[in-house]
Amino acid sequence: MKRDLISIEDLSERHLRDYLELGRQVEVMSPESCRQVLAGRILGVLFYEPSTRTRLSFEAAMLRMGGQVIGFSEVLNTSVAKGESLADTIHTVERYCDAIVIRHPREGAARLAAEVSRLPVINAGDGANQHPTQTLLDLYTLQNLFGRVDGLRVALVGDLKYSRTVHSLFHALARFKDVKFRFVSPETLKMPEYVIEATEESAAEIIEMSSLEEALAISDVVYMTRIQRERFPDPLEYEKVKDAYRLDRAALQHAPSHLKIMHPLPRVNEIATDVDSTQHAAYFPQAGYGMVMRQGILAHLLGGKL
Amino acid sequence: MSPEQIMLIPKIENGFVLDHIPTGSGVKVLALIRGHAELDGVVVSVGLHYTSRRLGRKDLIKIQSRELPQSFLQHLSLVVPGVTIKRVENFSIAQKIVLEPPELVDNLLRCPNPGCITNHERGVTTCFHLVRRDPMKFRCNHCERWFALDELENRLKLR
Repeated sequence: MKRDLISIEDLSERHLRDYLELGRQVEVMSPESCRQVLAGRILGVLFYEPSTRTRLSFEAAMLRMGGQVIGFSEVLNTSVAKGESLADTIHTVERYCDAIVIRHPREGAARLAAEVSRLPVINAGDGANQHPTQTLLDLYTLQNLFGRVDGLRVALVGDLKYSRTVHSLFHALARFKDVKFRFVSPETLKMPEYVIEATEESAAEIIEMSSLEEALAISDVVYMTRIQRERFPDPLEYEKVKDAYRLDRAALQHAPSHLKIMHPLPRVNEIATDVDSTQHAAYFPQAGYGMVMRQGILAHLLGGKL
Repeated sequence: MSPEQIMLIPKIENGFVLDHIPTGSGVKVLALIRGHAELDGVVVSVGLHYTSRRLGRKDLIKIQSRELPQSFLQHLSLVVPGVTIKRVENFSIAQKIVLEPPELVDNLLRCPNPGCITNHERGVTTCFHLVRRDPMKFRCNHCERWFALDELENRLKLR
């Protein structure tokens, strides 16, 4: 049976741990061995909306595993712009390649692509719904930074209301043992109740707070997100909170030395550039781990031997 | 039912009685019957605002057909969960069930999420899973959003 990666909700704790192990296996391989794993295979990369990091890291991952890439990064000048249905595009592209990566503005598009295709399909973001490879790379980053995911104290900071990254990461982390959460957000962007209740497992601990400074003192890792101006009906409300969740070197002065800062990127001004050179900054390594994780994912779904 | 109420809605020889419909929902059930082509032409009797020990007031509908289509029963369980269905044979009740919500609703609903791909792609079949019983919540298999019954009630796929 073909394998897809569509939603974190499809993955048990065991699956998540298996994926982390795949990343580790890729990392210990020599570049030459990596290039044999998917040699001669072609990845179809269908991006119906723009993305830099995700697309480039998928493409780099495929190339490093010895495969090749075809696809588009915007729908202008494609058959999609002429009104072709998603199913028809998939039926066509699957004749040209061995697996499909899809990003699409509509929620559920990747699931639909997986239903109609005989090839493995990877969801690289479907509207506000899921972005499972981001969550896996976040977990993989934690595993590498701390040697474990179990028992970590994780502060999720910023827009907890609309951020799909944060929702998926919360659901995935709740499946690990004894992970403790600090939800740090303005009142207007609090973690929605429906996201909390949708976890089958009950999280070991959830503390809701509004002070980032307090959270720094009681966390192992701080996961920052961008607060988007357009989320606020009242621009004044945005002005009030936009700097409340801004991290700079001074704010980290009293932070525990082992504290790590993660961010799905791109950042705007929520992390000052003077943090980049501190021992706390983990967001660029995180982007690097993203490629490794995707190498593991591609090898696994395409049946490559690691 | 008291004798004078029985006079208001005739006994049926064969068919089904949908009982314990919360008052006001009888009209919704009628619309549902009209939405299912398989029930075209069947004789339907409607009783509204009956006195009920359990509900205070209730609606009651009798359908004189040999079968009730599965799709109708699933829709019914979403519109009036907990409705009692009595199968009548030769003027007496042969079987009585309380209609439970389905674990899986296969292509009988349109997704309430306007951003869901199923509302934009031609010919897609939808699928919803029951993920919570109290309060009842269904999850769209595609966009993964959870919906309460009152959000799904007007999203039934009827003819």
